[in-house]
Amino acid sequence: MAAVTTSTERTLNKLAIAGVLIVTLIFLAPIYWIASTAFKPRNLSTTIPPTVVFTPEVSPFVKLFTKRSQLRSPPTPEEYAAAPWWERMVFDGGEKVVRDGKGNVQWSGYPSRFMNSLIVATISTILAVGMGTLTAYGFSRFKVKGEGDLLFFILSTRMLPPVVVAIPMFLMYRTFGLNDTHIGLIILYTAFNLSFSVWLMKGFMDEIPKEYEEAALVDGYTRMQAFFKVVLPEAATGIAATAVFCFITAWNEYAFALIMTNRRAQTAPPFIPSQVGSGLPDWTVIAAGTLLFLLPVAIFTFLLRNHLLRGVTFGAIRK
Amino acid sequence: MRKRLTGLLAGIGLSLACSTSVFAQELTIFWAEWDPANYLQELANEYEKETGVKVTVETTPWADFQTKAFTEFNAKGSAYDMVVGDSQWIGAASEAGHYVDLTEFFNKHKLNETMAPATVKYYAEYPSNSGKYWSVPAEGDAVGWSYRKDWFEDPKEMEAFKAKYGYDLAPPKTWKELRDIAEFFHRPDEKRYGIAIYTDNSYDGLVMGVENAIFSYGGELGDYATYKVDGIINSEKNVKALEVYKELYKFTPPGWAKTFFVENNQAITENLAAMSMNYFAFFPALVNEASNPNAKVTGFFANPAGPDGDQYAALGGQGISIVSYSENQEEAFKFLEWFVKDETQKKWADLGGYTCNKSVLESAEFQNATPYNKAFYDTMFKVKDFWATPEYAELLIQMNQRIYPYITGDQGTAKEALDNLAADWNATFKKYNRVQN
Amino acid sequence: MATAVLTTLDPKSRAASRGMSDLAIRNLFIIPTILFLIIFNIFPLLYSLGYSFTDFRASGTGQTNFVGLQNYRTLLNDPFIWNNFAITAKYVIVSVVGQVLVGFGTAMLLNRSIPFKGLLTTLLLLPMMLSMAVVGLFWKLLYDPSFGIINYALGLGTFEWLSNPSMALYAVAITDIWMWSPFVMLLSLAGLSAVPKHLYEAAAIDRAGPFYTFFRITLPLVAPILMIAIIFRTMEAFKTFDLAYVLTSQPTTELISIRLYKMAFQEWQTGLSCAFAYIVLIMVLAITNIYVKYLNKVKER
Repeated sequence: MAAVTTSTERTLNKLAIAGVLIVTLIFLAPIYWIASTAFKPRNLSTTIPPTVVFTPEVSPFVKLFTKRSQLRSPPTPEEYAAAPWWERMVFDGGEKVVRDGKGNVQWSGYPSRFMNSLIVATISTILAVGMGTLTAYGFSRFKVKGEGDLLFFILSTRMLPPVVVAIPMFLMYRTFGLNDTHIGLIILYTAFNLSFSVWLMKGFMDEIPKEYEEAALVDGYTRMQAFFKVVLPEAATGIAATAVFCFITAWNEYAFALIMTNRRAQTAPPFIPSQVGSGLPDWTVIAAGTLLFLLPVAIFTFLLRNHLLRGVTFGAIRK
Repeated sequence: MRKRLTGLLAGIGLSLACSTSVFAQELTIFWAEWDPANYLQELANEYEKETGVKVTVETTPWADFQTKAFTEFNAKGSAYDMVVGDSQWIGAASEAGHYVDLTEFFNKHKLNETMAPATVKYYAEYPSNSGKYWSVPAEGDAVGWSYRKDWFEDPKEMEAFKAKYGYDLAPPKTWKELRDIAEFFHRPDEKRYGIAIYTDNSYDGLVMGVENAIFSYGGELGDYATYKVDGIINSEKNVKALEVYKELYKFTPPGWAKTFFVENNQAITENLAAMSMNYFAFFPALVNEASNPNAKVTGFFANPAGPDGDQYAALGGQGISIVSYSENQEEAFKFLEWFVKDETQKKWADLGGYTCNKSVLESAEFQNATPYNKAFYDTMFKVKDFWATPEYAELLIQMNQRIYPYITGDQGTAKEALDNLAADWNATFKKYNRVQN
Repeated sequence: MATAVLTTLDPKSRAASRGMSDLAIRNLFIIPTILFLIIFNIFPLLYSLGYSFTDFRASGTGQTNFVGLQNYRTLLNDPFIWNNFAITAKYVIVSVVGQVLVGFGTAMLLNRSIPFKGLLTTLLLLPMMLSMAVVGLFWKLLYDPSFGIINYALGLGTFEWLSNPSMALYAVAITDIWMWSPFVMLLSLAGLSAVPKHLYEAAAIDRAGPFYTFFRITLPLVAPILMIAIIFRTMEAFKTFDLAYVLTSQPTTELISIRLYKMAFQEWQTGLSCAFAYIVLIMVLAITNIYVKYLNKVKER
């Protein structure tokens, strides 16, 4: 925007700053609430008026990672004294840590679900972005018969509600034994993200001047070399932006994960709600699980934020 | 770098995928997320101590439990070796071949004689009186009530109550009293409300809540042998029962339209309601002072009687079945042999599980173990259950569709809702050739 | 659409004689993706088209019969299903309009010289990084009439957001607006920053009012990118499943996806639900086609 000159402009700008701050506060309030609940003692998580000042605790995280069961009688002083600090936290919450037949502490399902999410989201993102980049290049640089129709077809695969796709996929996976496997979920997420990735990457590819490659071809590169050595580095921003979007989608997907996975390949989104607690909801544990689950995407996005903003600007404007 | 990372992740993925099926010395039991599942895990850890076989209890929220189990069954998946399935699943699961036939096992261990009759009838046998058994009764359960003793025993309240209703304020014996007390304590200005009932229509919460009224009013859902529903589900008695349930809804705390066991326990811990309906299996959290600040002043009573003195409660609880697609059926049978032993059943009760074993249930030790075990024992002999036919899921959804708008949305009348339901059910039974007209 | 198509190399040229031919590269780059999508999207759909004419149940061992168009007739005559469509339409409109207003409005505010603009923009993007299912779960706590912070902050007493049948759908939409306005904001910001400054300067010289500037310069130039945002959000809102599924179970919030999920994976009426899926599919394609046509028209201007 032009330099602030008139006094009306200055007032307007101040109003805009105030407006932005208010909007930001409103938008961040629920996230702040999740983060603060993750460190609250359980009895402060549902108070009215809401508890804002409190001594933070890590007990929600201890609970998140352990298998616990409701105490039927308080622990004996000896038991309590012998317990390590984190187990005391669980005792204080009226629960005990469950130990397996060998006496080892049993983990909750959270770590394995988190791992599943990492595996599935990472691999499917790499596949979707990889294939999407190649295909976008193909569409951008070569004449393809019925290009418009093909692109519309590719986009249309993303319009379907997951449940619509899930019914036939469920039957197909049943035949091939792919239900509740990582591969099954990776295929689904790749297919789901591929259309988006092709569309977004095509915008970026169109932006890269074809003269660059032509120069490279003249310099003695093959078309393949020109693609990898000239085009790809130019498209890095776009690839990063696309990867963030694909990763977020795969990381947070719920419907497919709910229907297609069970114990072995279940990801975290359908799992976290199951930590509601057995007799009473323990919001602190849910908040802890949510917060940890948010971290990877938040970090990923933060690291790539410049690419993301610039990337979207680029790709979307001239599409 | 990226390549190495991919390889590494793929490797982890592969090893995770394989590790579960390589060791036959592991069993997985599927159940819903609640205290008994944790108790079962503790019991199973005892089994590991004795035999070295690791048993893991996997859980999922109640709202998804049925869907998760049946997607797994219908995918013919082997993720679970055993499942502690709801009583109404037994028709669908046995007819489709998801459950292993346990008749021989049942007879060999004379479970007919050692387990409480209602649990054998509803959890294990299908079709009724066929002598074919599909599961081992594991967790007996039924609906009971918790209430705030301190509110009930407050002299001022007692006096005011007596003045208004003409009888003493005490845990209700009839549904009429239940209604009066709910009305009496319903004071929105004081942020105190009368009663907490089930209203969640995503699975069987609301339906089980209504069943408590229907069964105690002397009504039935239908004739389970002939599939006749018209004139039964929409009988005069059921209309009355449904009207009472709707009236109770008026006395619930604000926002009480998708509530099940969690919210109903919260009604007690957060000082919202005077009385709260819930399954006995959810009561441990209420006697635990760490999770219920009102633990000392929380009391329990059995589902009250209807106008004609009928007193029944909706059955909960589950039996353990072996999944036909399990690769470890032999090990699973071994586990069940251990599970039905008297000393295991006793241990199960000690840990907090609701055993179905008659001799343990009858022991004074069990009945005095918690403030609500006695009420539980009494209730287990007067329980009734929902349809167990293979198409029960459709019946359940239809019932939710018809009665939910009436109860929470104030739409139509009880008579209309039940008449429509009778028509829906009849059409469904016709579709599956259970009835001709 | 930009058409930066390279002219095919002269087959006798030096570049063409090395490595793979252009045609081969094109096929190598494009065909796997098309095949992948055909195998995992189109083939399953054809598979279910077949089932939509039967009374097949994936749960049963019983016989499957061909029933012709019976499933479609049943569905189109079912008042509950029509209601589901009406609910979905209402939800899509409320939530997309809300997102465009909030998102575009915020973008207008941000499109000034605001300190820490980059940081604020990144922070505003946080809601859309979250999982809808988990967000839904947490918003249940925020909406709680007895101890939720929303009622407390707004002084609404015990206002029933989720259990009031006529409010519940709006409550779901509000959560959706919270999550996805940042997306609209991001795209709008991209569009706004691309409006050439000299146009505003020219308008200022002509003493054009703010409304004139907005409707004659800003809006038309941002319209194409805003349309893209609207298309994406409409499609996503139409598909909504997790948020509404986790937040409430009111009949007034039973979106198409939820009804379909129940029919397919709770009642196991596989044949019927395949037919239902087809009805949804046709609607989605029709809606998108209209949008894309409109988008092209906007772009031509």
